[in-house]
Amino acid sequence: MRTRLFALAGVLLLTSAIPAASQDEKAAQQAPPVQQTAPPAAAPAWLGSIDFGVRGNDATGDLARLERYRDLQNGPFTRIGVSKETSSFVLDASAFNIGRRDQQYRASLTGSRVRFSGGFDSIPLNYGYGTLSPWIEASANVFALDPFARAQVQAKTAVGVPASVSDLQKTSVYRLLSPTFSLQQLRETASFKLTMDVNAATSFDASVSSSRKTGAQPWGASFAFNNANELPMTLDNRTHDAATGLEYSRDKGTVRVGWNASWFNNNLKELVWDNPIRATDANPYDPSGYSNGNGPAQGRMSVPPSNMLNSVSAVALYKMPAHSTLNGSVAFTQMRQDEALIPWTINPVINSASVLASFPELRALPRATAQAKVDGVNGVLNFSSRPNRYVGFTARYRYNDHVNKTPVFDAREYVRFDAVPEETGGETEQFNITQNTFDAAVTVQIAPFTSVKVGYGYDAFDRTGRAFSNMTDHAFRASIDTVGNRWVTVRGLYEHVKREGSGFSEASLEDGGSQPGLRFYDEANRDRDRGTLLFVVNPTDVVDLSVSMSAGKDTYNGPGHEFGLLDNNNTNFTVGINVYPSGLLNFGANYGRDHYASNQMSRNANPPPDPQFDDPTRNWTLNNTENVNTFNTFVDLPKLFGNKSDVRVSYDFSDSDNGFAFGGPRIAALTAAGTFLPLPNVTNTWHRFAADCSYFFQKQVGIAIGYWYEKFDVSDFATLDLPGAAGTPRIDSLGELSTGYGNRPYTGNTAFVRLLYRF
Amino acid sequence: MEPIRFVTRAVLATIVIVVAGAAVARAQTPGAYVGESACLTCHESQSYKGTAHAFTSNGRTPAATHGCESCHGPGKAHVDGGGDKTKIATFKSMTPQQSTAQCTPCHNRSSHALWSGSQHDNRNVGCVSCHNVHAPEGPKLLKTKTETTTCAPCHRNVVNKQNRLNHMPVREGAMACSACHNVHGAQNVRLLKTGTTVDESCASCHAEKRGPYLWEHAPVANACVTCHDAHGSNNDRMLVAKQPYLCQRCHVTSRHPPTVYDGYVMANSTNANKITGRSCVVCHQAIHGSNAPSGKAFLR
Repeated sequence: MRTRLFALAGVLLLTSAIPAASQDEKAAQQAPPVQQTAPPAAAPAWLGSIDFGVRGNDATGDLARLERYRDLQNGPFTRIGVSKETSSFVLDASAFNIGRRDQQYRASLTGSRVRFSGGFDSIPLNYGYGTLSPWIEASANVFALDPFARAQVQAKTAVGVPASVSDLQKTSVYRLLSPTFSLQQLRETASFKLTMDVNAATSFDASVSSSRKTGAQPWGASFAFNNANELPMTLDNRTHDAATGLEYSRDKGTVRVGWNASWFNNNLKELVWDNPIRATDANPYDPSGYSNGNGPAQGRMSVPPSNMLNSVSAVALYKMPAHSTLNGSVAFTQMRQDEALIPWTINPVINSASVLASFPELRALPRATAQAKVDGVNGVLNFSSRPNRYVGFTARYRYNDHVNKTPVFDAREYVRFDAVPEETGGETEQFNITQNTFDAAVTVQIAPFTSVKVGYGYDAFDRTGRAFSNMTDHAFRASIDTVGNRWVTVRGLYEHVKREGSGFSEASLEDGGSQPGLRFYDEANRDRDRGTLLFVVNPTDVVDLSVSMSAGKDTYNGPGHEFGLLDNNNTNFTVGINVYPSGLLNFGANYGRDHYASNQMSRNANPPPDPQFDDPTRNWTLNNTENVNTFNTFVDLPKLFGNKSDVRVSYDFSDSDNGFAFGGPRIAALTAAGTFLPLPNVTNTWHRFAADCSYFFQKQVGIAIGYWYEKFDVSDFATLDLPGAAGTPRIDSLGELSTGYGNRPYTGNTAFVRLLYRF
Repeated sequence: MEPIRFVTRAVLATIVIVVAGAAVARAQTPGAYVGESACLTCHESQSYKGTAHAFTSNGRTPAATHGCESCHGPGKAHVDGGGDKTKIATFKSMTPQQSTAQCTPCHNRSSHALWSGSQHDNRNVGCVSCHNVHAPEGPKLLKTKTETTTCAPCHRNVVNKQNRLNHMPVREGAMACSACHNVHGAQNVRLLKTGTTVDESCASCHAEKRGPYLWEHAPVANACVTCHDAHGSNNDRMLVAKQPYLCQRCHVTSRHPPTVYDGYVMANSTNANKITGRSCVVCHQAIHGSNAPSGKAFLR
């Protein structure tokens, strides 16, 4: 009886527990309903802002440099933004500087399962508005000179390209024929991206973009050592990019496969231009025509060829116990370029039967198209583990293989500068690079909020076509990080990397005519030491002070290394403060100083068998140092006049002092002979002051005024102006006819007045 | 019979106690969450409305699951403890790795898939080092108004380079750090987000430099950064040193490449064209590679 009663009680308990459990399971499986504390709201409205006004600009000096990537011409100014937000999507759209060369448009739709974004960007690159050129574009990328002027220059009755100091005292006939024009280019890019969540675990994305470049850029197109030309080459190219990916993700990991491709199409295949010092081809050709200017009447050169890139990749992530993760990626890439090749030369004198009889390989090209191809394989594997709060491990392996499969092109007979056929060409050389990189590190928490990490890195390069066939980097790294507490952040890093090459080939240097003691700095034996230290102190919640220092030293010290870059040092120091006490005031200031110094050695000599080549008294050195100061400060007063106003003032400054100190016995000899003059330092100073103030005199309507002041001073010996006319380019200089593009000072005042409307 | 009865009763009792206790325990599970409205009672300003976290129609978001407690953990103990901060996950008191572990269960896809073991993760940079879910100042829930001001505190010397004479259009607002870098981890070096080498990354915008060419220039095939400083430089074309001296670091041959290009040459010789204007590339314009059959030395 008691048992029956007991059992009955148990059954009753059990039966009451089971529904509770079922309800628990259901509750656990279902998301709790979103609790609403207010009645359902009205449908969300559109929000937005319209800034519309006018901008005026008053500038002296190099206006193109002031604008650079912007369009600051007088006229309207627009900034429009609209958005709508519901519980299931957010729609944003914006437009900036409508109708201007730097206009931008953006739109995005973020929904529960679909995300779409698109945009159009226009980015100008303004080289110069006072550039000049005597070349007239007769047809696409075919540049012609005045035939009468050319005839005068060839007959030496007029100066074309100054060939002596006395020529400099005269005005080049081409300067008189050069109208001023604006040298600019424009990059316009349209892009779209769609991401769709197929389900909670799977997503698909696709993107396309198309970028067009038009305008012109300064381009070197020369005929001889004493006849270097720069002209405004036309740009007409487009790059199309497409990418797509499929991703599957669960709690334990993620897998993604993707494809991307890029097609660069250059609608202009070559550049043809008239020789400023030859109206007719030198006939017969002059074997020294590449140095004395007795060359062709026209030149032709290739321009960047159309090409394409195709890549498939996979990325995976797997989460393991003990806070461990394994992730990695693999990618297979193809690059192809198969443009039709231009002929050996445009010079009809060289293309004549008599010349070709001596240079039979110039009768035809070994092949009609480039057939250039590169295949690449890249793989990365990362392992990281934090089994407890005190210790962590990371390891990384990367493999990259760049294989150039372009067939060798036999150009042992070729034409130099369209002027002279030679047999001193060679075969094309393609560069393969295989890189294996391994890094491992251990992190130990030595104190609350402080951890120390030590690591080792191994980097091995196998290369073809270089002086060293193999390079190996051994890197030791140590860092300390104190983060996560409210008072202080400390980050420090030290790195020592020792690079050693093997498989050195002195013959490869000799084949190129180089000094046997030369080592190319991107492959030479090198000791590298780098350190950085960052302190951020937060004495209160509203102030942070930061100090950072860094230093780096590269020393190139391999056996037999005598010429080239010998060492390279840099130091950096910054100090800053940010104050943000309230919603009424934000203030910040930062100062930074950088110092760079490099040392290189060379030898000024004729080739063997001239004994100069081996004469150490012909050695010279160059010590190049640059000091840069950077300063910026800002003040935000978001509610200077109650909630209706916003004021921001900022100032930026940067300067540079770049010096060139020559030394060594060759310099001493030149100095003794009175044929050496040191170069002046290249300096520049840039200031920018910006102020913007807005005031809403009604809830939705306001007015804003803005002002920018920008001043740039520069002294650069490589930029030439007419004597007594600073800022006016001199296009005819010793051995050169250029566009006059260079680095020149400017001062700009830009003012905005805008009406503001918020909705 | 008595021992059997005892055992039977004991077993039954045990079963009842265990099952009933378990049921009671499970019945406590939903009670560990208090719901978002309870959180907002005290933390009204800590809303995340207006961000992608707030989409209730997306079943993965906090708004569609446990609201605030999706990231901060069940809040009942915190509420019952009168706001005891030790009873709730507070990001301010977490290490970077701990706070990141709150985000990565969801944010482990696409551009975040390679976060673990990446450079920032390895240096104790966590999600909340740069992002603020509740009060973002900038796009992508950044703590500051722009990407540049987010990156600057640790990378000040790099950010300062945008103010140099030759720079990418970052300070003009046409580009940002994320145009080239994926700070969350990338298969390329230096957190470059496109391609698998430095060159592939640069050529994604500068496709005219991609090649491959008939005539290749060795340092170009190695890496663009051999000659260029992508963050900014006071030298023309963002070179790491001024021409011709940059070129003379490698071209130590004979005749004109290792000539001393000084003020005297500039004033007296047609070799001045190696110093002024475009310097070496006024002749060797195809310096990134040439497709011309006579393109040896990149003259054509």
